[in-house]
Amino acid sequence: MNDIIIAVLRSGTPLVYVTLAGVIAQRAGIWNLGLEGLMIIGACATILGIVVTGSITLALLIAIFFAVLASILLWFVVEKLKANPIIAGLGLTGLGLGGTALAIQSFFGSQSAVNAPFGLPRLGPAFGVYGVLSILVVLMPVVVFALWFLLCRTRFGLQLSACGEHPFAARSVGLNPSMMRLIALSIGGVPAALGGAELAAGSLQFFGQNMTAGRGFMAFAAVIFGAAHPIGATLAAMFFSVLSAIGIRAQLVFGDRVPHDLIQALPYLATVFGLWLSSRLRGGTNGAVTEIRDN
Amino acid sequence: MTDPHAPALVCQNVSVTYGPVTALEAVSTAFDAGLIHAVVGQNGAGKTTFARVASGLVRPSGGHVAINGHVMRGGNVSAARAAGVELVHQSFALPPSFTVAEAMEFGATGAGRFFTRSSLFARWRPHLESLDISVDLGARIRDLPVETQQGIEIARALVTQAKVLILDEPTAVLSPSGIEKLFERVRRLKAQGVTVLLILHKIREVLAIADTVTVLRAGRLVEGPLMTTDVDGERLSRLIIGDASRGLAAVDAQALTGAGTVEHGPTDAKPVTAAPVLKLSSITTFGDPEGPALQDVDFEVRPGEIVGIAGVEGNGQRTLVRLIADFAKASRGGVYLGGHDINTQPLAQRRSKGLRIIPFERNTEGLSLSSSLWENWTARALLEKPLLRLVNPALLRSECDAALKAWGVRYDNVAQKAGALSGGNAQKVILSREIDRDAKLIIAAQPTRGLDIGATAFVWDALRQARDRGCGIILISSDLDELFDISDRVNVMLAGRIVGTFTAPYDMNAVGAAMIGAS
Repeated sequence: MNDIIIAVLRSGTPLVYVTLAGVIAQRAGIWNLGLEGLMIIGACATILGIVVTGSITLALLIAIFFAVLASILLWFVVEKLKANPIIAGLGLTGLGLGGTALAIQSFFGSQSAVNAPFGLPRLGPAFGVYGVLSILVVLMPVVVFALWFLLCRTRFGLQLSACGEHPFAARSVGLNPSMMRLIALSIGGVPAALGGAELAAGSLQFFGQNMTAGRGFMAFAAVIFGAAHPIGATLAAMFFSVLSAIGIRAQLVFGDRVPHDLIQALPYLATVFGLWLSSRLRGGTNGAVTEIRDN
Repeated sequence: MTDPHAPALVCQNVSVTYGPVTALEAVSTAFDAGLIHAVVGQNGAGKTTFARVASGLVRPSGGHVAINGHVMRGGNVSAARAAGVELVHQSFALPPSFTVAEAMEFGATGAGRFFTRSSLFARWRPHLESLDISVDLGARIRDLPVETQQGIEIARALVTQAKVLILDEPTAVLSPSGIEKLFERVRRLKAQGVTVLLILHKIREVLAIADTVTVLRAGRLVEGPLMTTDVDGERLSRLIIGDASRGLAAVDAQALTGAGTVEHGPTDAKPVTAAPVLKLSSITTFGDPEGPALQDVDFEVRPGEIVGIAGVEGNGQRTLVRLIADFAKASRGGVYLGGHDINTQPLAQRRSKGLRIIPFERNTEGLSLSSSLWENWTARALLEKPLLRLVNPALLRSECDAALKAWGVRYDNVAQKAGALSGGNAQKVILSREIDRDAKLIIAAQPTRGLDIGATAFVWDALRQARDRGCGIILISSDLDELFDISDRVNVMLAGRIVGTFTAPYDMNAVGAAMIGAS
């Protein structure tokens, strides 16, 4: 049982962080399909940061810096250049995947993976079998709570949601939806970077090309599944992780009797099922998550 | 220091242009503090633009607005709010998923940035109570009836100590008794020293509530502010309509400006005895995303009559249209078109039996704005042809050209995008498509919303002519004057039921009472 919990926390924590980045963007009215790109930028910058500076703190700061920078770039393309946010988000994902591959090649020659001498600090033997978990796993509930408080219990959070749901209402009380989106995307860069860092340096200590393997898109699905609510989206992300842990377990149990690919497809099938279920529960109007109106 | 005798709001040579369109042209006027001012004009006269400029939402391209003697930097809502001006929009501007308490909080200024659910309730309950609005603070905006939503909007606008409150067409969505309540609220605000600007378009309402009246026409100031004690309905009506009044029947002019009691317009139609063209027998529908389900609706339309549907918006009018158009499904009862049971038939088949619809949303349901005029126009005919039938675009274009010319649509060529037309012209394109020789039942859903007086009169005439040719017509409108003028019979809808049927001469008070379920 313990090993399943550990597996779920290990695979779920990066997903939750990235989901939170998606939640805050969604609330402000941007469908952030660049989460995959932000996550891999965070992962790559963390490992390169460790290798170059030798300090985990500096490495995390570097990762946050680049993820925030990439988020601001997305804002600029969407709000200032008036690009379609879906296309711009996918572009950011492409930029992240390609850019990180280019980065490790230019740093280390033609390598497809980079190993770091150490990773994130772990809890240590005092916590028994859970000692292998990184500090970001423990920090995760704190960050979720902090974001919930920010979004649901402060005036700023209400204003942010107003900008996403009804920009005209926001402008009517003197807010600037575009600026609010810049703030939202910038804040979202931080958990996105932490998600990438946990993925690359939490249980592993290396960065490989395309190592996010679609987790950013799964995080986006969790945002929608959780109706862009911080707690709901976190639960959705953990639900996906439980499914993938069960999938891995099932592979060990069933061996070759069940097709390998089918089991690996489970979390994605569950995502589709979850989206269908959530749209049914909300009366078939998925657009109600963020209703973009400007008049 | 502000001068206590200075007007609360001054407009100096204010002009607004949207691209090539001039919405306001050199408007100069001043509103004294502590009074109720009405600003009137027909659709497209620039009333909403005026309200938005005054509240800082729109930056004037020329001139300036001064509040309590301070010249405002245009286009800055925060500055206008700080100076004490608040605007309540016509189509409300509150995020629908917010609770009442959240809706109060998100526009607030000053201390108290964090909250718990209960502290938020405690913060705003006294405010709502002081305005005499009784509502559950945890209720979501989207679940509230329209009267309450408007109350919440006004309360939202008053969270700061507003000195000048502007209400943009607040009466358009209300039932007659709702209007009376709103006016009481406005009078109470006046007693508290708030200067109120009401954007209105019914003269009756102006004379009932306002101290002064200002008339706009085609973006220009016609006259005002005039003391309402110095004007009468007839003069105001002339000021609002201007030259367009030539060739307008007196009764139509009265319905258009809401100057007095509207008599039912003259009709040439014979008393109707023919079999109904549409019959709904004890229809109950499943829940519908666009409104309440219909409950036990019995309803019929005979050839050669216009049946009006009155009711506060959101009481099942959309569901009724969707049922007849096969978008909403009946769980019980029958729908008969020209005597045939059409309950299981798709829309295309219903249309081939003579069903025509002028839909609620001209720009999304009625037309494809990004498609050309001829494509929009030929959609009706193409729909009735087999899927693989060859079409002749050149022929269709010339047919479209002839039809649009016959309907007096102003356009450059039929390849033009529908989005390039003005509201009135766009509606004429829809009319030319939907009112054809084979039409038997025409549903006109809010056909004149947002149109100026000339275009409105045109739509009314088109509907009357179709009736006189023998079409059955359903007219859905939230404007009682319009309904009374051209309907031969008016049904009132409330919460998905038909709760009353009225015939001319209409009694506005009785219809108004039925709209809110008072007997």
